[in-house]
Amino acid sequence: MIKRIVAIAAVAVLAAGFAGLAHADTFKLDGDPKPAWIYFNVKNDGGWTQAIDEARQRMEAELGIEIPFVEKVPEIASEIKPAAERYIRRGHNIIIGSAFGYSDAFKELSERYPEVAFLNPAGTTNGPNLQSFYGRTYESQYLCGMVAGALTKSNKIGFVAANPFGLVNWTVNAYLLGARQLNPDVTLTVVFTGAWNDPVKERASAQALVEQGIDVIGQHVDTPTPQVVAQEQGIFGTGHHRDMREFAPQATACSSVWVWDRYLTPTFKKIAAGQWEPNPWGDFISIGDGGTDIACCGDMVPQDVADKVMAEREALVNGKHVFQGPIYDQAGTVRVAEGEVPSDGDLWGMDYLIQGVTGSLN
Amino acid sequence: MASLNILSARRLTLEVRQRVNPIYRLAIILGAASVGLGICVGILLDAGVNLASIYEEFIVFTFFNAAGISTVIVESTPLVLAGLSAALAFRVNFWNIGIEGQVLMGVIGATLIAIFDIGPQSIRIVLMLIFAVGFGALWALPPALLKVRLNVNEVISTLLLNYIAFYFVMNQVYGPWKDPRDKFPHSEKYETFERLPEIGWEQVHYGILVAAVAVVLVWWLIERSRFGIRSRFVGANPRMALAIGLPVSLITASSALFSGGMAGTAGFVIASATEFRLTPAMAAGYGFSGIVIAFLAGNRPIATLVVAFLMGGLYVAGASMKVFYSLPDALVGLIQAIIVLSVTASEFFIRYRLRLARYERS
Repeated sequence: MIKRIVAIAAVAVLAAGFAGLAHADTFKLDGDPKPAWIYFNVKNDGGWTQAIDEARQRMEAELGIEIPFVEKVPEIASEIKPAAERYIRRGHNIIIGSAFGYSDAFKELSERYPEVAFLNPAGTTNGPNLQSFYGRTYESQYLCGMVAGALTKSNKIGFVAANPFGLVNWTVNAYLLGARQLNPDVTLTVVFTGAWNDPVKERASAQALVEQGIDVIGQHVDTPTPQVVAQEQGIFGTGHHRDMREFAPQATACSSVWVWDRYLTPTFKKIAAGQWEPNPWGDFISIGDGGTDIACCGDMVPQDVADKVMAEREALVNGKHVFQGPIYDQAGTVRVAEGEVPSDGDLWGMDYLIQGVTGSLN
Repeated sequence: MASLNILSARRLTLEVRQRVNPIYRLAIILGAASVGLGICVGILLDAGVNLASIYEEFIVFTFFNAAGISTVIVESTPLVLAGLSAALAFRVNFWNIGIEGQVLMGVIGATLIAIFDIGPQSIRIVLMLIFAVGFGALWALPPALLKVRLNVNEVISTLLLNYIAFYFVMNQVYGPWKDPRDKFPHSEKYETFERLPEIGWEQVHYGILVAAVAVVLVWWLIERSRFGIRSRFVGANPRMALAIGLPVSLITASSALFSGGMAGTAGFVIASATEFRLTPAMAAGYGFSGIVIAFLAGNRPIATLVVAFLMGGLYVAGASMKVFYSLPDALVGLIQAIIVLSVTASEFFIRYRLRLARYERS
């Protein structure tokens, strides 16, 4: 216990030190905010990028400014940098990205253009004028998992996931933890497709899961394919990125949806007011502050279940942690001890699946 | 008189041109390019782009301004190398569709040296280049051997090796080469001495020197060396080449290896001059662009340089279009395809003469 307190103290001191550095020159915007957005995929991809584009439109309406965008700028530095520089040369002073693969290029740009503010969802780099941010997606996926747990008759739920690393693994694990809240006997089978956007593999994976007897399907990929398969097969599903009722109205029971504008609108205001201090560790946004929320629930979800889900959402907003220990991995090893919660670093590095998940990270 | 019209009719005939005047050839290419450009201007006007700004923003901004031209140079450097790679193989009718995969293997080779800190720092970058060339060539070796020994179609074998290379990259970034610092799916970043420096003008880097040396080497190999003459013979008529005792298999296989090595060099430049690490989004179509470039350049090294530069300009202009008008990516792709197709199709009018011939009916 003492060791842990010492560690927390050390981290706090370190963080304070970094914050102090950031304080040294608070970011000042030159002129009125003039944002521009760079998308890594087409604006109507049905998932991640479309959620960003919808946030952009809501922000245009709310802030009364125009936010131009450029779509499908691949995650290569030699493509990202010229795109950003074209906007900067035209007087844009807030450049927003859209991908993890933009992290390095944005870091370089932020150093080259210290008078411009850079914001990058899913990025990993930060600086005095660069903020990466991501949502605590395990919270919204946990709530959708609750719906899945309530709806399953076979006590078997499935999950189609993209690539096996921290921020995907935590959604798989949280989904099962949520399902267990309303159904202690439920088990989960996960398939990793190895790609963010591969509808063919997603379809094959979802169908294979259905053949194994699952009757609710969750997902963390960039397309609505798993929900479409769920609707074809007459089972239920929960979506991610956007409200998947658009694609599978009969099957979609709940969706974990991005609400970037809830985070970015206040951030823009802070930048304009000269009060913006980027978090040197990146902003990790909880369900109450933007990031992801849920679109719940579909007509098939009983009212008492919906009430329980919304009550649990309230608990998360008020500080409840999804990964409250004890958490055991597939081999039965304790990963989060009784009475503890994982640090954000532990979450990003989550390289295990919890007990009750069938499937492998390799 | 009416009877005359029945007796004599006109029809279009195709004639093979015996000799093509170079000026005539150039005129046809330019004519075809202007037809393509004309169609594109029509499309752009329809999309709401202002006619006056087309010239200003796409021609002047791309080619006649330091920021624009330097972006084109950076964009075309790997394209030159990919084009040379295609030209080397296509000259001997080895249809190397696997340049994309060989580029990726080049990146793997360079990254291997970088992350395991092999060799002293002073020559690290040279070692990375050598390994990139070696890995690229290695990836072309199986298709080359299969072709000359077992007559296996190289279109299929090289194409399929692209996927294997891609999944190998994915395996490395999600597995053993995952960045130990942030646990995200990319390799750790190259050190300063593992990067190609910038030459000090805009953001142009020493990859330009690598490309220049490659052009000279390939020019010598193709146009001046004994190997070049022999390979031209093999390309023109392999049976005859075999009949007069040329080592056809050896020439074909070594051309394939040169091609792979050149693709590996492109990978080295992308990795060490712009990306500084192995990422899952690497190659991104360079290989396929290389095929088009070599075709348009008639597999000649100097022409490859010119075509690659123009192609780079086309990509950069397309990227500006997306930024300035938020045009859909598909529209920009369509415009680029129309221009490339028009120029490609002009080959037909260079080879053949269309004539309205009159003939008498008997």
